Amino acid sequence: MKKKRILASLAATMMVAGLLAGCGGTSSTAASGDGTASAATGEAADAAAASGDSGKTVLNVLWWGSQTRHELTTAMLEKFEELNPDIDVVMDYSDWGGYWTKLPAQVAGGQTPDVFQMDYAYLAQYVENGVLADLTPYIEDGSLDMSNVEQSILDSGSIDGKTYAISTGTNAPVMLYRKDVTDELGIEMPMNPTMSEYCEISKQVYEATGLRDTFVTSCSADNLRFRLRNYGMNLYNEDATALGFDDPQYIVDMWQLALDSQNEGWGMKPGEETATTAFDSMINDSWSRYQNSNELQAYRDATGKDISMVMIPNTDDATASATYLKPAMFWCVGADSDVKEAAVRFIDFFANNEACYDIVGIERAVPISSAMREYVAPTLDEVSQEVVEFIDYVSQPDMASPLMNPDPDSHTEIADLLGQYSEQVRYGEITDLATTAQQFMDEANQILADAAASAE
Amino acid sequence: MKKNAAAPRKLSTLLDRDNVAGYVFILPFIIGVIAFTAIPFFTSLYLAFTEYNVLSDPKWVGLANFKEMFFEDDLFWTSFWVTFKFAFIQVPIKLTVALLVAMVLAKATKATSFYRAAFYIPSLMGGSVAIALLWKQLFSPRGVVNQVLGFLGLPDDTAWLGNPKTALGTLIALGVWQFGSSMLIFLAAIKNIPQSYHEAAIVDGAGPVKRFFSITLPMLTPIIFFNLINQVIGAFQAFNSSYLITQGKPLNTTLYYGVHLYNKAFDQFKMGYGCAMAWFMLLVIAFFTALIFRSSSAWVYYESEGK
Repeated sequence: MKKKRILASLAATMMVAGLLAGCGGTSSTAASGDGTASAATGEAADAAAASGDSGKTVLNVLWWGSQTRHELTTAMLEKFEELNPDIDVVMDYSDWGGYWTKLPAQVAGGQTPDVFQMDYAYLAQYVENGVLADLTPYIEDGSLDMSNVEQSILDSGSIDGKTYAISTGTNAPVMLYRKDVTDELGIEMPMNPTMSEYCEISKQVYEATGLRDTFVTSCSADNLRFRLRNYGMNLYNEDATALGFDDPQYIVDMWQLALDSQNEGWGMKPGEETATTAFDSMINDSWSRYQNSNELQAYRDATGKDISMVMIPNTDDATASATYLKPAMFWCVGADSDVKEAAVRFIDFFANNEACYDIVGIERAVPISSAMREYVAPTLDEVSQEVVEFIDYVSQPDMASPLMNPDPDSHTEIADLLGQYSEQVRYGEITDLATTAQQFMDEANQILADAAASAE
Repeated sequence: MKKNAAAPRKLSTLLDRDNVAGYVFILPFIIGVIAFTAIPFFTSLYLAFTEYNVLSDPKWVGLANFKEMFFEDDLFWTSFWVTFKFAFIQVPIKLTVALLVAMVLAKATKATSFYRAAFYIPSLMGGSVAIALLWKQLFSPRGVVNQVLGFLGLPDDTAWLGNPKTALGTLIALGVWQFGSSMLIFLAAIKNIPQSYHEAAIVDGAGPVKRFFSITLPMLTPIIFFNLINQVIGAFQAFNSSYLITQGKPLNTTLYYGVHLYNKAFDQFKMGYGCAMAWFMLLVIAFFTALIFRSSSAWVYYESEGK
């Protein structure tokens, strides 16, 4: 009997201990993503003092990106640890799509990472909800050295005069294209193509290779935005209380071009994509693709093809360029972080340290510090050189037009709504384009008005 | 551990009590249920009446989410009917196929154990991402299915997953293909039917078809009942195949209820709305389960009742 009892209590103790360890483990691995974070670092992250058994400060870092970025960032953070022996970095990363469910979940669970990537589109929303720490004091006291950074770049991460986010570099939307294919056909892509030039080349490529266009046929919110920017407008008005345009013709033109391209064969018909990933698409389905300039390396790595880039095509009668220069992404610090000093030290390292750029190069776009730009320039490989030259090209007067405001919270809902209508148009379910475009605009304006009303 | 040593007396009297060891043993389970089921369950009920974007605190909005669901969100009803259609086509086909294959495999020959495993494997891999991507490749415009059709001289240019007429059917086929677990349950039940019933029927001159409908099928009704409920619940909760393969496209013909819920909650961050949708689905599933239970007295045969 006694033996049994001892056995039972032993087993129970083990179970409870296991459970507790399990709980502790969840909090640490939730932020680490790989199994290397020991239980000790997990507890340390939980403890208010945030110093582990070894007396090291634990810094949770979260980012999104491709495999190329994960490898470079991991190496860069290891270098940071080496130079800052008192800091123990816990790394976690995700792809773009997963990031925007992962980060909100961590924020809601009170586990906001100490340092994390932020996108321009989401910045205002996260600042409004008090998730991001104000970095202005650190810039003022010099612990975050921004002396070599232009004011306009700092402003891109500032709201109401406070800097919440530090840009990692500048990039621009681009049209990636298969240079191996165009070279073979003897086609020269113009650096700043008009829509007709782009369509004409698409036709030639399709007739020779069967590869089709996925840009004009996407009919997405981004696509519409480019078209609106060609006439000096944006999707939304200045304070995002309504759409930024009132003529449905812009949408009709976008849809009509997509339908024409589908009918002529060179535009991808809906449902005929065979690729399972964006990288696949550049091999099997399409010869071009709208992305961001800093992604060139990742696309070359993943596809193994000679991919190059030009500016987003502008409509033939455009009065302004669709292209803009934008912060590629930001580094932010969690407002509730207990290790803000260490977090700031990391951002300073990323902005100003040569050792960082020896590893990452310009994978997160061209550095914001003029000193670092000069430092990386001679060390860059051919691909990176191309990216830098591209940004220089777009930075010339009148090549790009000013950056729009960040999108409102309801942007996703409105983009989904446009996607719904665009799909019906592309399948031929809707033929009265003008009425449908007006209907979309009315519904989108309603969503924006409701959001503005509930925010008050 | 230190505490144990410090108060050995107290602990031993506690452990002496009846049932204590039992409670200690189920403690991990109870903690699990409270932390991972009960708390989320009631939280989601509360959230269903709020507007909640995860980043800021939930805001009480009363029945607004339900009003939007029933009267304003067209896609809500679209997704509801798609799920309904999916469930009521897939489940009968899947159960019929499972039963037929189980009948064939019930006969013990050398090859049957191999085939049993072979037919069960799709169920094991059923919900996986890999299988969804495999399906996507098989049915892509240049996929294996079209290549085989072309080889047979049939039209080979159908974009199975991109055509609004065929997309849901293709996903239903994927669901039916995973009939293994129902089949295994049928198989066990078929083997449990006493051989003497069949022998008596044979003596009376009953053929195999007659024996199937008069002996096998009635004896299997409790198992059909069980499989039916399981499969109906599973079908209403379907998510993976649409999310991974078609994302609800084309033209929302594969927009399962679960996918629409996910889009609302995790894409547009309307968590309150998502919770409201989840609770409505719970009621729908409860309704159909109750309906099947109610109907069971009419068609399910239990030997022990001696009917």
